[in-house]
Amino acid sequence: MKVTLNWLKQYVDFDWSATELADRLTMLGIEVEGVVKLGGELDGVVVAQVITKDKHPNADKLTVCRVNDGKGERQIVCGAQNFKAGDKVPLVLPGSTLPAKPGEAPFTIKVGKIRGVESHGMMCSPQELGLGNTVEGLLILREDATVGQPFAEYLGRTGSDVVYDLEITPNRPDLNSVIGIAREISAVTGNPLKLPQIKLAEAGSRAEELVAVRIENAELCPRYTARVVRGVKIAPSPDWLRSALEKVGIRSISNVVDVTNYVMLETGQPLHAFDYHLLAKQTGAPCPAIVIRPAGDGEKFMTLDGQERTLTSQMLLIADETKAVALAGVMGGQNSEINLNTVDVLIESAYFKPQNIRATSKKLELRTESSYRFERGADIGICDWASQRAAQLILETAGGTLAQGVVDAYPKPFTPKQIALRHSQTDAVLGIAVPMEQQIESLQRLGLEIETAPGTAPSTAAGMPHTTVFRVPSFRVDLKREIDLIEEVARLYGVDKIPATAPRGAIGSNPYDDVHDQLGEARRILTGLGLFETQGQTLISDAAGKLMAGESLVALSNPLSSDMNVLRPSLLPGLLDALRYNLNHKTYDVALFEVGRVFTETNGRRREERRVAIALTGQRSPLFWKGDDREARFDLYDLKGLLEEFLEQFGLRGLTYARRPDSATVPLNPASPESCRGFPLSPSEGERAGVRGCSSVLHPPSLFLESATVQLGKFQLGELGQLLPPLARQYDLRDAVLLAELNLDQLLARRNTGKSFRTLPAFPAIRRDVAMILPEATSHDAVLQVVKQAKPANLEGVELFDVFRGKNVPPGQKSMAYAFTYRHAERTLTDAEVNAAQENLVAQLKQHLQAVVRES
Amino acid sequence: MAGFLDQIEPVKQSALAELQAATDLAALEQARVNHLGSNGKFTALMKQLGALAKEEKPAAGKAVNSAKVALEAALAQRRAELELKAALPQEPTDFTLPGRRRALGKLHPLTQVTEDIVRSFRKIGFVVADGPEVEDEYHCFDALNTPADHPARDMQDTFYLRNAEGRMQNEETGDRTTEHGVQTAPPAPPASTLLRTHTSSVQIRVMAKQPPPVRIIVPGRVYRRDNADATHNPTFHQVEGLYVDRNVTVGDLKGTVEFVFKELMGEETRIRFRPHYFSYTEPSFEIDFSSALTRKMGKEWLEIAGCGMVHPQVFENVGYDPEVWTGWAFGFGIERIAMIRYGITDIRLFYENDVRFLKQF
Repeated sequence: MKVTLNWLKQYVDFDWSATELADRLTMLGIEVEGVVKLGGELDGVVVAQVITKDKHPNADKLTVCRVNDGKGERQIVCGAQNFKAGDKVPLVLPGSTLPAKPGEAPFTIKVGKIRGVESHGMMCSPQELGLGNTVEGLLILREDATVGQPFAEYLGRTGSDVVYDLEITPNRPDLNSVIGIAREISAVTGNPLKLPQIKLAEAGSRAEELVAVRIENAELCPRYTARVVRGVKIAPSPDWLRSALEKVGIRSISNVVDVTNYVMLETGQPLHAFDYHLLAKQTGAPCPAIVIRPAGDGEKFMTLDGQERTLTSQMLLIADETKAVALAGVMGGQNSEINLNTVDVLIESAYFKPQNIRATSKKLELRTESSYRFERGADIGICDWASQRAAQLILETAGGTLAQGVVDAYPKPFTPKQIALRHSQTDAVLGIAVPMEQQIESLQRLGLEIETAPGTAPSTAAGMPHTTVFRVPSFRVDLKREIDLIEEVARLYGVDKIPATAPRGAIGSNPYDDVHDQLGEARRILTGLGLFETQGQTLISDAAGKLMAGESLVALSNPLSSDMNVLRPSLLPGLLDALRYNLNHKTYDVALFEVGRVFTETNGRRREERRVAIALTGQRSPLFWKGDDREARFDLYDLKGLLEEFLEQFGLRGLTYARRPDSATVPLNPASPESCRGFPLSPSEGERAGVRGCSSVLHPPSLFLESATVQLGKFQLGELGQLLPPLARQYDLRDAVLLAELNLDQLLARRNTGKSFRTLPAFPAIRRDVAMILPEATSHDAVLQVVKQAKPANLEGVELFDVFRGKNVPPGQKSMAYAFTYRHAERTLTDAEVNAAQENLVAQLKQHLQAVVRES
Repeated sequence: MAGFLDQIEPVKQSALAELQAATDLAALEQARVNHLGSNGKFTALMKQLGALAKEEKPAAGKAVNSAKVALEAALAQRRAELELKAALPQEPTDFTLPGRRRALGKLHPLTQVTEDIVRSFRKIGFVVADGPEVEDEYHCFDALNTPADHPARDMQDTFYLRNAEGRMQNEETGDRTTEHGVQTAPPAPPASTLLRTHTSSVQIRVMAKQPPPVRIIVPGRVYRRDNADATHNPTFHQVEGLYVDRNVTVGDLKGTVEFVFKELMGEETRIRFRPHYFSYTEPSFEIDFSSALTRKMGKEWLEIAGCGMVHPQVFENVGYDPEVWTGWAFGFGIERIAMIRYGITDIRLFYENDVRFLKQF
């Protein structure tokens, strides 16, 4: 909404500067989004008349003049010769600035002495005023010029003005008008609101003899007024009208159309003018009728903008007896618009149900100044006044005669809402004491009226004697209950004057509070492990989503683009995007994680769950200048090590990792059925056994070169693996890409953060190492299972310290070396008892794993 | 006798010379064996002691012993010198060379700012709450006093989810909060499932579940249907504060906002409230702040947050009595705070996850 400073000043007096007005409006809740100054280059230049012209006592080429500036006489020293006493000339008053010449700074005139004689201003040549190239001599004005008149006015230029672009919040439709803004200023300053005086000369026929109005749906159109002006002459608008509209960005069309726009801007009431003779009359009827009716489904209508629109029965039309003539509240029709031949004009001023206008405008994707105002709630009380105002201005600008009276179809006249304000409640909410009288005065200034004064109101059950009941004017559709009145009091009191009070009161509690810290803890551990945290887009493409989660995607119904049309089913697409972005920007070694939410939908069931995911690619360690493995790339064991450390630090123990049998390469086969006991369940077995969350945390097998599930007992926590190289290349990634994703909600539910002290060992441990040659397919876990079964006495721990293939190891086999640590809590073990346990263990390993043991 | 005593000094001197000449521990050991070993030259001299006349023995013994002590001292000293020499690295250490780093990762700047915000609020008794990002219209709009035909819904462009056929067939009903406060979207009529446009939807969920008083903050992701540019991303983060209690006033709201922004933006930060409109608060305000940061950006006041007193209608919607309870809520964008704080000029940087960017915070 745009208004200008000068336009506002027509309705209310205030002496704020242009900047101060912007500040005041802002602090009233009307945000000023832009301020543009118009004109004003000749401010401070007036028409003056030379009274006397005398020689300068100290200079031959200068004269000393006495000059009348309209308010008084001043002495001016002048260097020009081309004028005489009695001439009228432009005079720049001290403190004013001459228009800047191209490439020069503006020049401000000051009172000063020229060759010892004071000069109070400067008389100007055309060039000095930017009006031409004549340098020699003053600009001599016409004899009829009015002394004291602003020079810009003499030139026929409109004076300076300031245009404000205001952001009007949707609850305040009354502020979509100059008068509405002026009313706010009036309320703050206490200066009265000066509404235009309307005196209409009516003559000839009565309006109801010229037009009938029939409302078919009074719910959608609670009021419709019609006035008729006859004998107008359609012509371009006078300057003041054209300029008023153009300043606020509305194109001038013709006098009658411009008046309807002007009154809309002035009052906030959208108006429409029809060419009266284009309204069809029913045969035999004395006059045409305006019918407000719903459109037919599929009915076609050509709006003013030349577009043919297809309507629905939900839309409201203004019609005559034969055809539609306007889309109610949105736009007029081409068939009845004002044109150069128009002589008689019908002025429509109506009120339409906001929701209906909004729906129509949305459906047709047609937003107009009119629909904008109606959908936010126009002022049902102002219809007739706005129509009178339009009639007055049409008569002024286009001539003609106004038919007597108005046709005002208004089945249920507005009854003002009444709201009781307990003045003590204002103080309670605002935390300050605003005197009751001040509260009442503030609300009255905003146009509210007192229904019941304090003290006379019947006491409420709560027994509040200081209560005023107000009647709310029709233009304040936002005022619905007591708290709304309190806000008005606060606005006029000045929100900046409410003192801040220190935080106090109840301490909060919420079950999520602790979860927030746990998530923070997970993040801290991961950064401690050298990973950078990322934040990925939630919205991704369905192609990327399918790659990570198959078909269980949650899709948007109104996506912005196909790049962002589903919710991420996994954090991996975002991490892959981040890897790609970094590699494209020459950062090749990247280790990232994200903690975030993912969304899936399977069998009609939508899930929103937290995940944590990790992505690694490139070199394992920061750049260093020596060492054989300094250029080592991340591999799956780096990823697994990160996961192991993270999970242990996060309080999860007893995790198992199981190769997914469906991943690309040949799976490890346990050496014997026995060693399989206690081995993690495969996903398919897991489902049979009722593992929860199975499907959601596993990725399509086609994603990975090889991968494994991470499980805690029967709970599937997630998956880790290496991205299939062809997919990696699609993301411009050349090195191995290691990915892991875990269900964070499961981690939170399963973590055990209990801590307790165990006595430090007092007696020494004894270590025995064993190196075994084993078939390639025998897993580390299979070895551990045999050890577990053997239950060697006093065994404290087992550690794998070498895996070797090559010299002295037959093909298809590998050498694995383990260190076994024995310890007793209460005494030193003897070699003999350790040896006995170790021999038994070695026998078991040989028997179950076909191990060839090389003891050391 | 004189002959024996005369022998001692040359043997000692030759032994000392060889010990000194040893340049490593092996040579030193060889020198020791040569002289002090069982077949060594000095040992041989000592062996002659027994053959001397009885009256010559004390003087000779004293002289030999003193020489032996001197040799052993020289041996110990030389050994210490050579051991130290052996401990030194073969190549000299250049302390100006870069060390072998163990790199730490970094928290995302948005996480860091969120944590700072959470920390400030916790100092004054707030706790963190959470809710689903996939929401229904009731929690996102209707319960917040923004009915379907309300023009205020135009202020935010909403993403809606496409409904799959046969959805919700086995969705549980009733309380959807898991033990960790994660909530799944409730079953809702078709076409009404959406991505929350603000964290204010969590206000409704918390109040519907918990009797007053309430004192929570809600950081989280929200979604607006805006094309990505320097100041927009379809996904961004907000934090919402809600306080409901008896006798809560606008003054309390101002006090809390001032406290939090001074914590976040520095002690010299000034705060200004301007009347504004939000459908779920009344009165509503926009909050501007002013500090060295805003002046650096060429502005005295910069809009930073919205707030207001919880609308009585909202209280009625969640079953709180607005005659007994008052409260306020405020919310702001986390990206915006981070951008102002660090001088970041493009919101998309947060979502590109360029390590060179992430390393800076």
